[in-house]
Amino acid sequence: MSLFIRNYKPNSLATVYNTKLWRLNSTTTDSALKKDEEEEEFRVLDILKKRERFQRRVVRRTDIQPDRADRMATDQNWGNVWPGPKTFHPSSVPLPLRQGYVPKGQAPPGKKANAELMKIPNFLHLTPPVVKSQCEAIKQFCTEWPSLLNSEEAIEKHYPVEVITSDYCHASPTIRNPLARIVTLRIKLSTLNLDKHSKDKFIRLVGDRYDSTTDLVTITADRCPARAQNLDYVNYLLTACYHEAWNVEEWEKDKTEDDMEYYDWNNNTSKKALVNWHLQTKNENRTLNDDEYKAFDTSEIPYAEEYKNAVSSWFNDGESDATVKNYGEVVRKLFGLPEKK
Amino acid sequence: MLSRSWRHLCRRYSQAVTFRTTENSPSQHNEKQEGLFYTMNPDLCKQLFGHGGFPKSFQLQTKTFTETAIMVRQPALDLMNCIRASDMDKPVIRYVLYGEKGTGKSLTIAHLLHYVHEEGYLIVHVPWVSEWLRRVPRHKEMSNSQTREGLVDLPLDAAAWLIHFKSQNQTLLKSGDLKISKDYVWSKRETTEAGAPLAALVEHGISRVKYACDVVDALVDELKILSTNKQCKTFVAIDGFNSFFYPLTRLNTPTKKKVKPEEVTLTNSFLKLTNNDWSNGAIVVTADQLAVPDDHQESYLPRYLLYKKGFEHLDPFVPIEVGRYNEKEFLCCAEYYRDRLWLRGPKEIETELKFTSACNPYRFMEQCAPL
Repeated sequence: MSLFIRNYKPNSLATVYNTKLWRLNSTTTDSALKKDEEEEEFRVLDILKKRERFQRRVVRRTDIQPDRADRMATDQNWGNVWPGPKTFHPSSVPLPLRQGYVPKGQAPPGKKANAELMKIPNFLHLTPPVVKSQCEAIKQFCTEWPSLLNSEEAIEKHYPVEVITSDYCHASPTIRNPLARIVTLRIKLSTLNLDKHSKDKFIRLVGDRYDSTTDLVTITADRCPARAQNLDYVNYLLTACYHEAWNVEEWEKDKTEDDMEYYDWNNNTSKKALVNWHLQTKNENRTLNDDEYKAFDTSEIPYAEEYKNAVSSWFNDGESDATVKNYGEVVRKLFGLPEKK
Repeated sequence: MLSRSWRHLCRRYSQAVTFRTTENSPSQHNEKQEGLFYTMNPDLCKQLFGHGGFPKSFQLQTKTFTETAIMVRQPALDLMNCIRASDMDKPVIRYVLYGEKGTGKSLTIAHLLHYVHEEGYLIVHVPWVSEWLRRVPRHKEMSNSQTREGLVDLPLDAAAWLIHFKSQNQTLLKSGDLKISKDYVWSKRETTEAGAPLAALVEHGISRVKYACDVVDALVDELKILSTNKQCKTFVAIDGFNSFFYPLTRLNTPTKKKVKPEEVTLTNSFLKLTNNDWSNGAIVVTADQLAVPDDHQESYLPRYLLYKKGFEHLDPFVPIEVGRYNEKEFLCCAEYYRDRLWLRGPKEIETELKFTSACNPYRFMEQCAPL
């Protein structure tokens, strides 16, 4: 049958083909038919085969409808044409798109039969009017935004814990992305209810997760396979650190000056050195014990306060040209030496 | 030939005005001479620095240039001002010189030594602490201290230093005004009695090397007493002081135990000297990156180099930075090098050298050497 259709030509030759076709099916009747033809007329010896040469195939095309893209109305509703995510189809998109790599100077191939355009994911179903209309549609399920949470500060105050996760959308056989499991929890340290000791301990517990410049503690968990598990884990970590920070262990009493988180001038040898120097300038030869040193009132020493600040800033702010210079100036004042030129 | 030498002479004469100062006495130096070179008397130079005191490269250079010329620079002038202005009744003031490698901390000390020598100070000068603690020649003499338990003596180094001390303070020691306050019993037969001149103590240390370290310790005590009693003014200069505070030395005891700096008797003596429990003097120490191994040279600032321990030992001190050359100093130095034929070629190379050496005095000298 397919053979028939392929060779069907709506002209006089049709009958000939028909017979031939029929002949293929039955050889016995075929010979009988041959005989009939022979009886009717003589066969002409056509040496140059002139006849067949003239019998050229007349190519007639079937009527092809114009492209759908060309027939689209300019004011149509695009959301109806492309309602959901699907692979690019040239006839549905009335845009003169071109895509593909070509040697320099040539135009990239057009949109028809263009695999490059089909490979890439498209967002033709998410045009702004469609998004808008869909938002309108789901609005009935939403509640109103609380009017008191009208500023960033208010949100930060009432909801200090910030949980950061990422969703991934991509065109691949699976919609899961392993990166979506990662959960980050961020909280300002000042919003936690901590006293001096527990704050110090908390910072030591979280280590480099605390950023002193922004006062933010950032805890990230990615060890569990699901996001919900990671979220639970992050919350657990924060809770555990918080309660551990409030615990005071027995061994914490052994904390020495070297373990201090900041340099306290009053507890350090620098104060002793200054007091000793002061006593010597007054020719008082007395030795004090540690508590007396700590209790010594330095306000009677001129420039002692500035000296204290200079030494503390040298230790607390780190050693730099500025802190060293500042210290030098103060010490010169203390000793009554001329200023540096 | 004659015309060439004539030209030479002319050029020298014409340049001599710009970069040299004829004021060869450091006590007269002031801001007017800043950046200019003055020449030190060779005899005095031998007396003060005959047993070390100049950096090695500078020592070589003085031989090449056939003169000892030192630039008058701001840190030295500043220090002289401070020493002049300080109250000698009050506890002694510690000054800490710091700065990048090769900026001239040791030469600032050399300049100051010349100054205090003129002013009649008794000089206690340690040329390079690392020489004792970090340089280990094949036969480093070490012995366990007889008098102080658990400490290590460096008798040869101590004796060498006593010779240095003696040569620097020849005149003061010869006069014999400085007397010892108490008896020192070294052994059954050897004692130094109270009232003996200080020179006798030093001599004893040099001739009986075994006791050199104990002599240094005794000397330190005596010097403190003498200067507090106003019998002399003492100037202490210690180069590479931060070496005393680096956790380890390169010394090993015969039992292969690593020696810490505080286990060396010399360290204890000089740390005792740098306490501010005496008066009528001045202490200048340097915090030098080169005095400690490579792993502790990230910063040139004093607290990093001295560690907290050293900082607390010296605190309160006056930090004085020795910086790179400024514009004027660089030009003077270039002129001086041209005069000494250390630098030749067109005038333009100076800008290039200024850029490549970043005005670092040592690097400038190094880069001029092949030119």
